[in-house]
Amino acid sequence: MAQSSTAAGREANLLERSAELAALAEQLEAVTSRAGGRLAFVAGEAGVGKTALVRRFAATLPATVQLMSGACDALVTPRPLAPFLDVAALTGGELEELALARTGAKPHEFAAGLMRELRQRAPSVIVLEDLHWADAATLDVLRIVARRVESVDSLIIATFRDDELDRMHPLRMLLDGLAGAGAVTRIKLAALSEAAVAQLAEPYGVDATELYRLTSGNAFYVTEVLAGGTHAVPATVQDAVLARTARLSSAGRTLVEAASIVPAAAELWLLAKMCPEAVGNIDECVASGVLSAQADGVAFRHELARMAVEASLPLNRKSALHSAAMSALADPPQGDRDPARLAHHAEGAGDTRSVLAYASEAGARASALGAHREAAAQYARAIRAGKHASPETLAGLFQRRAHACYLCGQFNEALDAQLAALDHYRTLDDRRRAGDSLWSLSRLYRYVGRPAESLETAQEAITILEQLPAGAELAMAYCNLSHIYVNADDVEDARVWGHRALELAQKLGHLEAQVYAEINLAVVDYLTTGSPGTAAELERIQRVAQENGLDEHAGRVLVALTWWSPRFKSYELADRYYEEGLEFSNDRGLDLWRHYMLAYRARCELDRGRWDEATRLAEMVIRDPLSPVPRIVALVVLGLVRARRGDPGFWPPLDEAAELAAPSNELQRREPVATARAEALWLEGREGAIPDATAPTFEIALHRRANWVIGEMACWRLRAGISEPPPDPVPEPYALELEGRRREASEAWLRLGCPYEAAISLAWSTEEADLRQALSEFQRLGARPAAAIVSRRLRRQGVRGLPRGPRATTLRNRANLTEREMEILELVANGHTNAQIAERVFLSTKTVDHHVSAILSKLGVKTRGQAAAQIR
Amino acid sequence: MPRYVVERTFPEGLHIPVNVDGAQVCLAVVGRNTDEGVTWVHTYVSDDKRKTFCVYDAPNPEAIRKTASRNSLPVDTITQVSVLDPYFYR
Repeated sequence: MAQSSTAAGREANLLERSAELAALAEQLEAVTSRAGGRLAFVAGEAGVGKTALVRRFAATLPATVQLMSGACDALVTPRPLAPFLDVAALTGGELEELALARTGAKPHEFAAGLMRELRQRAPSVIVLEDLHWADAATLDVLRIVARRVESVDSLIIATFRDDELDRMHPLRMLLDGLAGAGAVTRIKLAALSEAAVAQLAEPYGVDATELYRLTSGNAFYVTEVLAGGTHAVPATVQDAVLARTARLSSAGRTLVEAASIVPAAAELWLLAKMCPEAVGNIDECVASGVLSAQADGVAFRHELARMAVEASLPLNRKSALHSAAMSALADPPQGDRDPARLAHHAEGAGDTRSVLAYASEAGARASALGAHREAAAQYARAIRAGKHASPETLAGLFQRRAHACYLCGQFNEALDAQLAALDHYRTLDDRRRAGDSLWSLSRLYRYVGRPAESLETAQEAITILEQLPAGAELAMAYCNLSHIYVNADDVEDARVWGHRALELAQKLGHLEAQVYAEINLAVVDYLTTGSPGTAAELERIQRVAQENGLDEHAGRVLVALTWWSPRFKSYELADRYYEEGLEFSNDRGLDLWRHYMLAYRARCELDRGRWDEATRLAEMVIRDPLSPVPRIVALVVLGLVRARRGDPGFWPPLDEAAELAAPSNELQRREPVATARAEALWLEGREGAIPDATAPTFEIALHRRANWVIGEMACWRLRAGISEPPPDPVPEPYALELEGRRREASEAWLRLGCPYEAAISLAWSTEEADLRQALSEFQRLGARPAAAIVSRRLRRQGVRGLPRGPRATTLRNRANLTEREMEILELVANGHTNAQIAERVFLSTKTVDHHVSAILSKLGVKTRGQAAAQIR
Repeated sequence: MPRYVVERTFPEGLHIPVNVDGAQVCLAVVGRNTDEGVTWVHTYVSDDKRKTFCVYDAPNPEAIRKTASRNSLPVDTITQVSVLDPYFYR
């Protein structure tokens, strides 16, 4: 179809976008010169001209560059992988198979297919439009591709409305996760200036000042007004759109109205079926610029225009159009019918029977693609429409919704659905499924932090299922109970139920239950023996789980390996599994596991004195309230960093953590909070409150014989003046401090890699040399309140002439060294070689070489000796 | 948004020229602040120019530290403050 003169004129008038076009061209230049792929986000409010910019850029592409594009759906519940469906339709082959869920591909598998396709088609530009509407699977794919984009010769341009992203929007989280990535750029489009609006208005004789005042320079609004041809400026953008459609012929308006109920593009065959009498007027609508021609149909030039027309339709007309669209889409001329689109139109038509059928089907398809959030929404839609469906149907829908919600971390919604499913199974007297629901319910109570109900439903599930012939449900229910005891540090009970689960699982040949039971038993072994062999056993289980598609359990193993490293101060273990665990949970969309990895990593970084990194990771967890355990850990990290730096506002996070931990007796929740509060009280000069703040948790730890926790709490209580030797031996650094061997305790902490803890053990010494060492270490770390406490102690002992400021911090800020660079510079100053440093900080020698060169250049010196002199 | 006073020490004194270059320096600082939602309200400088007291609006202390590091500015203390108006009780 020929471009209309209006459209061509509009293209010529792309004002104030040369900088943005140049930025895109620069990214493309990197791609075509084989410097690696790039990802560019184009952000701006609705109607600011994102699509116009991208289209203009696409029009300038050399013929050697392949262009592919796709858009996200404005459906109430978007179709999984919507923008990639368009891309896959273009490429065909393997990618199309993957996208259509015929193979049940998960996002990471689709991403791998996409990367293969991009390598074959290099160089290429992919445009993904309207990511603020993206479904979860699309975002998962984009997250995976973004991290590896440098390995393909492709420029990916993704547009979104930044004013529609609140802090909780999944796209916002993706963007934050990509902050600082070298291959990712962001281009923000501003509204047009008053001068640009005046330039556009000039040929039309419209009052430019009034036009700018009403439109605030929104490019879509401005062009709509000018194309409407009225001299007065319509008061709203809707009025401007309708003024424009009012100038079409009656058949043209009919066609535009039909197209308005189809989000994104409407296929020509679809419009021909919906309004056969008007489809001949399509050229008129395109020529007037209201609709634009797409690959196989037409679309509104802008979503705002579609919504304006749709909103102007009388209700009965709208539902008749939806009904016509539904019948047409139920029997497409080619390809499979799309249940998500059908459910959307069934809802618009008010046809509940069809909504039930199509939404159930769409939910199943979304689940198969790993788009759990969309699956959950489709099942909810089916349930709303299924009030008069049979109890069996409803029970199944609730059960599937509960599982989808669980997988995408919507635990409270999952809980409601699971309770409803249980209710229905009880009414139907289906005791096997009721028992199955009960242990799933127990798991959900565990994640939302309701331990009493979790234990109660776990036991009830077993009671019911043990009355029936033993099946997989019972094996899973045993696993669940064993898991509850693992979390409670209740070693004996965890073993009893773990072995019972394992036996039954092996007898039934049920792999999932077997893997789950083995994980629980291995974690318990580690809790009691601290044996490094357990890590090897867990690695084996992880491989089995991953090879058999048991993603949830494979992820759980990686979490377990990270989870205990702060408790046992075995940071090497965390370093070994963190990257892999984070990547695995990202790729599989396992948000909860991702939170665990981030939170415990934050704690490891805090313990090792890397506070900036610790808060950065903690903030990523805190922003998204998913589940109490990782949130508690992250809040504690944030509170402790503030308290240690002497920054304001450390009690609110510590108070929230205490509130979250209160309903549970689990040490994994209580211990971080209790010790953090003890430390904060000390830093505030209120040691007297430490015994009361630690007593309940100390008692639980004694009861559970959790020796690391006992040692830590006993030390804080001793520092507050309470001497009570623990009944069992505690780990080395605590045992040494409890015996008053502070210098040795401090050295033990340094060997473990915990500089702040090392200084703390010396802070209660009476030896001047110990206190001076504690002081300089606190100053180096920027721990002002602790340094002040130690300074006062030294002055009370008559010591004069203490260094006042944290020299290291001043230097770092002057030279703009990062925390990591500062750490390495100190090791250089202590005479370590790069190879030795690499071993100490768990980096490759090559990376350390890079850091050292960066340090030398930032300090403006030539040798390591000169650099070292700067911090002496 | 909470308000903070940030104290900084400049051992060699703070010297921003009163010309185009100085304006550039200040605008660059403001630009980097916006990434973290930090607003620099104004600053009191001691007569010897070695100590500054900067008033900031910021979402949290971490945002202030992050921008300080990006702007190569030292941080001694961060104190959360509120305005006490002498005529408040009238």
